Amino acid sequence: MKAIFKRELRSYFSSMLGYIFLTMFLALTGILFWLNNISFGVASVKNFFSLLTSWAVFVLPMLTMRLFAEDRKLKTDQLLITAPVSVRSIVLGKFFAAGTMVIGALAVTFIYVIVIAFYGDVNWAETISCYIGFALLCGVVLSIGSFMSALTESQIVAAISTYAILIFTVFLGNIAAAFNGVIQSVLLWLSPVDRYLDFAMGILDPSALVYYISLTLLFLFFTVNVIERRRFS
Amino acid sequence: MIEVKNLVKYYGDKKAVNNITFSVGEGEILGFLGPNGAGKSTTMNILTGYISMTGGEVRICGIDILDDPIGAKRSIGYLPEQPPLYPEMTVREYLSFVCELKGVSDIKTEIDDIAKKTGLKDVISRRVGNLSKGYKQRTGLAAALVGDPKVLILDEPTVGLDPNQIIEIRELIKELGKEHTVILSSHILQEISAVSDKILIINKGRSVAFDTPENILRSAGAESLEDAFIKLTVKEELR
Repeated sequence: MKAIFKRELRSYFSSMLGYIFLTMFLALTGILFWLNNISFGVASVKNFFSLLTSWAVFVLPMLTMRLFAEDRKLKTDQLLITAPVSVRSIVLGKFFAAGTMVIGALAVTFIYVIVIAFYGDVNWAETISCYIGFALLCGVVLSIGSFMSALTESQIVAAISTYAILIFTVFLGNIAAAFNGVIQSVLLWLSPVDRYLDFAMGILDPSALVYYISLTLLFLFFTVNVIERRRFS
Repeated sequence: MIEVKNLVKYYGDKKAVNNITFSVGEGEILGFLGPNGAGKSTTMNILTGYISMTGGEVRICGIDILDDPIGAKRSIGYLPEQPPLYPEMTVREYLSFVCELKGVSDIKTEIDDIAKKTGLKDVISRRVGNLSKGYKQRTGLAAALVGDPKVLILDEPTVGLDPNQIIEIRELIKELGKEHTVILSSHILQEISAVSDKILIINKGRSVAFDTPENILRSAGAESLEDAFIKLTVKEELR
């Protein structure tokens, strides 16, 4: 797993992809920080993160589209699968590499919080819960992205299908508003973005934690299964 | 070292491998011969655990590939038809990745040894994507050699090489055959007869001959291996 993790992480920087991701992510967070905090003189990062949740879906698939699709295209999956490592550790190695990129990028955004701390009062509970919630949400997005990448050998198809799913989930709350009763509750329950609202209020709700982690694990499990199943077709 | 019993593989309705049985002993080189689409690559992919069989049994060094896939894979070095290379890495980075993947402890010595053996020393710090086809093939072969596996499975190792390179690789395979058990596929007959102790000829997924080159010639009543190959594979088609 470590070998795969290291190679994947390094390959983000030996191609343009890692730099493009970091540039776009940091530009995006910079603009949002300016709009929400600097220009209004607001110390809370709540709105900053709420907006980021809907925008992040456009940059995160960049990290996952390559993960499995490229290996199939280059036939390097033959090297990985015939090596004495399990499919599970291949999938985890790749997932953690993408996760590390996100954590790295998020760590940079902590500068904004430090800037706020100089000029105002930071609500630490809210800030930390926003960070945890957002990181968990990214975990879900990355695992869905990994799954879509495992389904195809085209990176573009992987990216676009991930966008399609993510855009749908971002609007799931709005779609839910059109219904009422049970359907509405089910749709809201399913929506990863709506789950995030608790974190934004500084509440670490165990059910939301469990929801995000299980959803991440579920899609990683699907990813392993897609790869295993292909060996039998 | 390698035992294969009644191997069957279906792709959908199509039978790609039909009841193949053979075994290769320690230090033997098995030549795997057959026309294009006969099921050579499929069989090799099954032996190395890349794909799974529909039926039958594969044992590598006594380990059943279904019971303990990781244990079986530890003793296999595989060079697929298209070498599995990452173009953006240098040869050294790539081999070092393969070493880590296979759990080799002394990576530097291992890479130096293998680079010397496969003639990659001069290109070790070049990007894999920029290498010529011959060097790419060698890099793939080097990756298969990492960790000194007991069994080497080489799928058309000389395809696309120039005559000098073919001779070099052939010599290398012969050399490797002294310490390793080797299965090598090809549709080039001279190549197979030059290096193999035993030959397995398959056609349309079916095994049509499995013996030493001399015995195959004798039983087919052929003068050359080429003749035997044509006789055996065409006879099959007339059935």
